[in-house]
Amino acid sequence: MKTKIKKKEKKYILLFIIPTLILYTLFIIYPLFSSLALSFYSWPGAGKPTFVGLRNFRMLFVGPFSKELFNAFFHNVYFFILTSLFELGIGFFIAVMLATKIKRISIFKTIIYIPNMIPIILVGFMWSLFLNPQIGFVNQLLRAIGLKNLAKPWLGDPNLALTVIILVNVWRSIGFYVLVLLAAIQNIPLDLIEAAYMDGASNWQLIRKVIFPLTLPTFRTLLILLFIWSFNTFELIYAMVGVQAGPFRSTDVLGTLFYRTAFGGLGSAVVDMGLGAAVTVFIFCIVMPLSILYVVYKEKRESER
Amino acid sequence: MKLQMIVGIVLAVVVVGVAAEVTIWSWRSWDIPVWPKVEAALKAAGYDITIKYEVFAPTEYDAKMALALRTGTGPDLVYARRLPDVRTSSMIDAGLYLPIDGLVDLSHFPETVLKYITYTDGRIYGVPFAVQVIGIFYNKRIYEQFGLKEPETWDELVANAEILKAHGIVPFFIPGKEGWTLAMQHAMCGVSVLGPEWICKLINGEVNFLDPRFTDLNRRLNELKVYYQDGFLANSVTDMNAAFAFEQAAMVFYGIWEYKQTWKKLNPELEVGYFMVPPLTRDQKPYAYVYMDGAITLTSNAKNVEAALKVLQFCATPEFGTIFASETWNIPAVLGASLPEDPLLQEILDVYHNHASPCVYWVGSVFVSQRPSLYDDVLSPGMQAMYAGKISPEDLSKMAQDAISQWYPPLMKKD
Repeated sequence: MKTKIKKKEKKYILLFIIPTLILYTLFIIYPLFSSLALSFYSWPGAGKPTFVGLRNFRMLFVGPFSKELFNAFFHNVYFFILTSLFELGIGFFIAVMLATKIKRISIFKTIIYIPNMIPIILVGFMWSLFLNPQIGFVNQLLRAIGLKNLAKPWLGDPNLALTVIILVNVWRSIGFYVLVLLAAIQNIPLDLIEAAYMDGASNWQLIRKVIFPLTLPTFRTLLILLFIWSFNTFELIYAMVGVQAGPFRSTDVLGTLFYRTAFGGLGSAVVDMGLGAAVTVFIFCIVMPLSILYVVYKEKRESER
Repeated sequence: MKLQMIVGIVLAVVVVGVAAEVTIWSWRSWDIPVWPKVEAALKAAGYDITIKYEVFAPTEYDAKMALALRTGTGPDLVYARRLPDVRTSSMIDAGLYLPIDGLVDLSHFPETVLKYITYTDGRIYGVPFAVQVIGIFYNKRIYEQFGLKEPETWDELVANAEILKAHGIVPFFIPGKEGWTLAMQHAMCGVSVLGPEWICKLINGEVNFLDPRFTDLNRRLNELKVYYQDGFLANSVTDMNAAFAFEQAAMVFYGIWEYKQTWKKLNPELEVGYFMVPPLTRDQKPYAYVYMDGAITLTSNAKNVEAALKVLQFCATPEFGTIFASETWNIPAVLGASLPEDPLLQEILDVYHNHASPCVYWVGSVFVSQRPSLYDDVLSPGMQAMYAGKISPEDLSKMAQDAISQWYPPLMKKD
């Protein structure tokens, strides 16, 4: 139900919106279109950009970079699937457990959120020390309890490195999802829960049939956020294995590919901001449609209420 | 208000006129102690110049410096990367780096070093500051303990490693997590095992990467990995420096730059020896991979060009080389400098003068001037893959040939 806005009020509304709109245009809209434009040029960072048309995209999708691009893309998808499963899945169960009225449960709420407060670069650095194959505490612990064969070179094994990094990400981020899901669970009216118990529901049935369906909207929002963050991930991989995304590009994601193409790696390889811009356009084309879809979906649901 | 303005302007003029300030940007934190000494030397010669030296992380330096120079907020002098390199050539094309031949006396530099900072227009765009020498560094005490000698052939190197391994010593510590060190390892072995003549033929297109000798080197390196530390694919250069300095490993494939400021700092008792990677047979000569690290370049942003040129002219003298070497224990590019009385440094200097390979395929070579580059895109990830058992030595050769034949004309013909 739209309320009628008086003409005078309209003027004030505009006045309040304009400063933010200007900042938004300057720092978000303009760079967005500027990047899109740049992806059609070749530019080593100094001098004038040269127009190359679709060459950057051709190099990325069918040319010398196609293998790296799709390798990175599938790693992002893997990242998203695993983080959703762990951060939302396990997060949900932890949230359910925290939603009880056990004494001093709030201590656990704080504990689970502490890793989230550590800057992500520090988390990466810390864990790369923990995972050091010779002196890291993970391997030392494994050797001490007799599991010597499991003491692997975690960040050096192309089959394990990405999964290990994702697990570190889960360790760091799960607190956020637990707290958000906890808030959603605590929003469920108590009478519904009581009614379910009175109807003879077991705890498991309560979770499956009452709590989970009622927190589904929150799940959807978090899933979208997780999707966007998974495709933008960069810092943890940079901190743990570096921008070359070793070993053998097995931890490469679109974020590290972008950094390498735009700013170059350690070697005297070609630096081309236009190529990097093309990578970002690719990321944008993946993330944007889903976000739009979500907003449309939400608007539809709001108007249905 | 007006009075304050006048006083301000007068002060500014006085300050600018009395002491000229020259700012230098770089990625080398090792050089920080060098510049106060340079400033002192200039002042002693009667030039009132203050030098402000700023360091940035090597991975951010290029982007930061390029941005600052383009917007006119950059320093007077910068450390420039060697040529060929698109970062350097694009700065020259944009007029942000200025040529200095004719303005600075470069007679103390050998031609082989100057070519790394001479552009296609024939002009020289900086004063080279250091030369890097890479090879195998070893722990002398461990070698003596097991009666080992510096190997003269590849098989002797493997035999040394075998003896060490049998006695529970880590023969080689390899930072496998950092792909660039593996590319460096391949390159330093290549100049001896493949030899400069073969590499020159590669550059001319007379042989290509599918040549059995290249694959043979890949195979030899792959077979060497049994002598690396357990879990070597997950170790970084920091781990290697610590392990080598604290005598947990006998040999490393590395460069002279960590010698004083890292290894000796961690363990002053450490005795380090050096030898070039041995060739396959005794009748071949060993060679070392030597490359110019970078040059100090005059920028278009220089506010006080005269003072900046004075600094550059000083950097082209043997006196600068002596200061540079005494602080960093790196080899200065300028000839005639006197180096610290360290036997290892003297040995490295001799290697630079007499055993540098004339043809190379890693940094400073044609193969890294475009993408996919032999360094970043082939050897760095490829060596990791081979060591991890994901690709074979033949696959690595194929990878190199596929990549370079995409853009390097002499290797583009079908074989």
